[in-house]
Amino acid sequence: MDWAYLFEISLTGIAGGGLYALAALAFVMVYKATRVVNIAIGELLMVGAYLFFTFAATFALPLWLAIPAAVLGTGLLGAVIERTMIRPLLGEPPISVFMVTVGLASVLVGLVEMIWTADQRRLPDFMPTQPIMVGDAFLAPKVFWGAVIAVVFIAAVLVVFRFWRGGVALRATASDQAAAYSVGINVPRVFSLAWVASAMLAAISGIIVGSIGGISSSMGVFGLSVLVVVIVGGLDSVLGALVGGILIGLIEALAGAYLGGEYKLLATFIVLVAVLLVRPYGLFGTHEIERL
Amino acid sequence: MHKTLTSPRRRTLLAAAGAAALTSPLSVLAQGAEEIVIGGSIPLTGVFAFAGVGINAGIGDYVKMVNDAGGIKGRKLKYVPEDTGYKVDVSVAAYKKITSQNKVNLYYGDSTGFSKTINPELDRAGTTLMAGASFASELNDPAKYPNQFLVGPDYTEMFGILLKHIAKEKPGAKVAFVYSDSEFGRDPIEKSEAAAKALGLSVPVKIMTPAGSVDVSGEVIKLRRAAPDYTIFHGYILAPIPEFITQGKQQGMTSKWMGTFWTMDSSTVMKMGPDGDGFMGVMPYRYYYDTEKAPMLEKIRAMRPEYQSTAYIQGFLAAMLFTEAAKRTLDAGKPLDGKNLKAALNSIKDFDTGGLIGVPITISGNSIPVGRVYRADMKAQKMVAASDWIKL
Amino acid sequence: MRIGTLKETYIADAALFDSRTQKVWLAVGAALLVLFPFMASDYWLYLACLVSINVASATGLNILTGYTGLVSLGQAAFMGLGAYTVAVLETKVGTPFLLNLLAGGFIAMLGGIVVGIPSLRVKGLYLAIATIAASFIAHFIFANWKFTGGTGGLSVPPAKMFGMALDTSFRLYWLIVPVTILMLLGAANLFRTRVGRAFIAIRDRDISAEVLGIPLLRYKLLSFGLSSFYAGVAGGLWAYFFRVVTPESFPLLMSIFFLAAIIVGGMGSILGGILGAVFMTMVPELLKLVVGLLPGGTELTVFLSPVRTVIFGLLIIGFLVFEPHGLAEVWRRVRRFFHLWPFRN
Repeated sequence: MDWAYLFEISLTGIAGGGLYALAALAFVMVYKATRVVNIAIGELLMVGAYLFFTFAATFALPLWLAIPAAVLGTGLLGAVIERTMIRPLLGEPPISVFMVTVGLASVLVGLVEMIWTADQRRLPDFMPTQPIMVGDAFLAPKVFWGAVIAVVFIAAVLVVFRFWRGGVALRATASDQAAAYSVGINVPRVFSLAWVASAMLAAISGIIVGSIGGISSSMGVFGLSVLVVVIVGGLDSVLGALVGGILIGLIEALAGAYLGGEYKLLATFIVLVAVLLVRPYGLFGTHEIERL
Repeated sequence: MHKTLTSPRRRTLLAAAGAAALTSPLSVLAQGAEEIVIGGSIPLTGVFAFAGVGINAGIGDYVKMVNDAGGIKGRKLKYVPEDTGYKVDVSVAAYKKITSQNKVNLYYGDSTGFSKTINPELDRAGTTLMAGASFASELNDPAKYPNQFLVGPDYTEMFGILLKHIAKEKPGAKVAFVYSDSEFGRDPIEKSEAAAKALGLSVPVKIMTPAGSVDVSGEVIKLRRAAPDYTIFHGYILAPIPEFITQGKQQGMTSKWMGTFWTMDSSTVMKMGPDGDGFMGVMPYRYYYDTEKAPMLEKIRAMRPEYQSTAYIQGFLAAMLFTEAAKRTLDAGKPLDGKNLKAALNSIKDFDTGGLIGVPITISGNSIPVGRVYRADMKAQKMVAASDWIKL
Repeated sequence: MRIGTLKETYIADAALFDSRTQKVWLAVGAALLVLFPFMASDYWLYLACLVSINVASATGLNILTGYTGLVSLGQAAFMGLGAYTVAVLETKVGTPFLLNLLAGGFIAMLGGIVVGIPSLRVKGLYLAIATIAASFIAHFIFANWKFTGGTGGLSVPPAKMFGMALDTSFRLYWLIVPVTILMLLGAANLFRTRVGRAFIAIRDRDISAEVLGIPLLRYKLLSFGLSSFYAGVAGGLWAYFFRVVTPESFPLLMSIFFLAAIIVGGMGSILGGILGAVFMTMVPELLKLVVGLLPGGTELTVFLSPVRTVIFGLLIIGFLVFEPHGLAEVWRRVRRFFHLWPFRN
């Protein structure tokens, strides 16, 4: 048993899981506040990455301008989406809203293809290139720094939800809309805030994912792996996004190393099915009680 | 009850006119009796658009060249393309539409999936010779695909050319294969592993990456541990090759990096950045900017002053081979159908492509097993030749 | 205006086609369907066969999602099961095509029942995601099992009817369209029976349905089974039509296509399934026609593929926001207008 190999693979898997966790956080943000399963999260990631590409490469803006510009741009898109597509379907069954996000994913992919064509591109490099060594184990710097950024953001969101008024308002709206209204919380504004925050997080995630794997109009498939992560972690749990992300990243890396590349997705989906059967609300999700 | 205004005769006339009006938009013969039609399911949009646009221009330009010179024995060529977005069902629909509106003797297909799906129809109709963008090994079977051919070596032959070059450069070397989890990626791997062993090379690891995977660090670790002398990538266009190379170099790997046709277009390789310097691969055609003597390349450069991709050259060459097959068939006095066109194609021996391929070619089966190894020179932003023309 | 449609027996009331005008239009429709292949070009016949297969599969999905309320994104995987079964039987055993189609439907039905087993524990969106997982697992099996030809897939020889090979769209039309019509009639009749009504009860409020005495697991599994049987037969027809079956032939995108088709057409009605499938299959062709007619033709064709994707998404969003009951509701409004004319309401 080659322990050094196992350690190295596990390390890179956990760090890779950090990437998943960041995208999962964006997803959880929306679900927590509005109970909407946003399958277009991968596509929002893609838009963030493409906006960064446009600002950094085409317009040649410096990094400290390009990144916030891309993030804000995607946030704006999130607000627009919420206002035009999600708000009108407020009382409808959740499956309708889910299908709207499916349609949204299609629209975003088409728009990206129209404006930037479907060619694969590379983002300008901006992360440090010094490889990270843990003893003898090698960790790719991009993956490491991506994971660090993810953990920072998750910690920040956890703190915000706990202590900031906006965060508490978000949690209140999530658990009972009518009660939140009656306490004076501006529920529509909370919805918009949640979608904007989610879109911005997705943009950051997209920039990191894009700088590792390049960008293309089919980047959105990343969203499927994120879906597995949030189911495992719990659809409305921020901590679950982190734990789920790390877990799935680790399982994928191990499956890929010891079984072969084609087993990576299979392993994650088998984990998904197992979790759905044993603990359908995920490791940290809240149990929903159905009433007549 | 009012009297009917239309007499029985008028009613039947109306019905006949109605029926005729119904059928006319559905079946129109839109081509002149003398024209030879080249139909095309071309991926002008979608993931393969970078190639499709080039192929479209290549075929179009060659057709124009032939027609300006008077056509084939006085008969003009007509090129009828349709965009498919690289989707098989759209490609098939385009084929049905074009063949129902024209008498098509030559067709260009956009993908392996399309070539396989349309094959039974081609065999049944027997009227058309087909080439395509695909270099799938499966299509290189004259018994199963008698009406089709590849415009170059198939993927297994591409590997063969690279392996032959490696065996010459460094006998007994270790060659790793990194490929994508798709039909495209898996195509040549098994046979190529056997071919490598036959040449005295060893394959320490074969790494398959799932489609659409972003983080390949686990795979790079696996690759590093195998410590190959050469790594051949296949089944990708660009991603995740640059990431493999960057991380591999960071981890101290000394492997040489190689790729196959669809990675090797000049603009694609240049996107790899400084880490891509020295990236090698097999290309069956000359690049647009090659400085060696090639009369056809000079004609292309005169027609198109800006850089044309290798896909353009593929389309151009396909049209050239189509024209040659048609010419030989008509010269022999035979009618233009699938069997005769294919036989004419197979009679091509030591044919000079005007320098598009560096050596005269012979098409004895369904492919053209010739290629050259090129290397990327990032400073000059060009691909330079790294070997002679290798024939399998 | 529609008058005098009183019924005197329960049987008459529950009939599928009750008025004379309906029966006349049905006869006209049938005549058109019979005459169509003789008048149409190969291209339109190809489209007709494709539309027919999509109608069959969409009807299956409608049974599961529209009538029973169980959202499934695995329709393409079940079609794949049926297609591969047909391909394997046709290439390795050589049994007659009707048997192959039934076997394909049966294997797909088994697959559907297996996927449906968690449906008691797992509801709504979670079930949808479980079907996505099932779809990936099926794709993995197809791509990695040597028996199913791996990533290269299988080539299917044409179906043989009375010794004649069904290898043109014209000949396949006579196989595909009657099978589809049979399946449509079957589905329409299903919802006149107890089983159908149980499905609808489950959709509306499954806990209440259980209180009423409907065994949930049994009926949910039945719904999954029936819906995947339909998908399996449609997949088998697909295999005979395209003659090549590969793992890439049945992607997740296809499941999304069918779900979109029943949403656009109208969930919970057979007519909705038909309208939705026809509409979604023909929209790309219509788009090509429109772009061809616009000035500046070749410049615009570059945008054709992404515009298709955008319109696909916009259709889903648009129908959900503005017309959640789909095209079938639009149809019903038109019909109501004619039934009540010259009165307004």
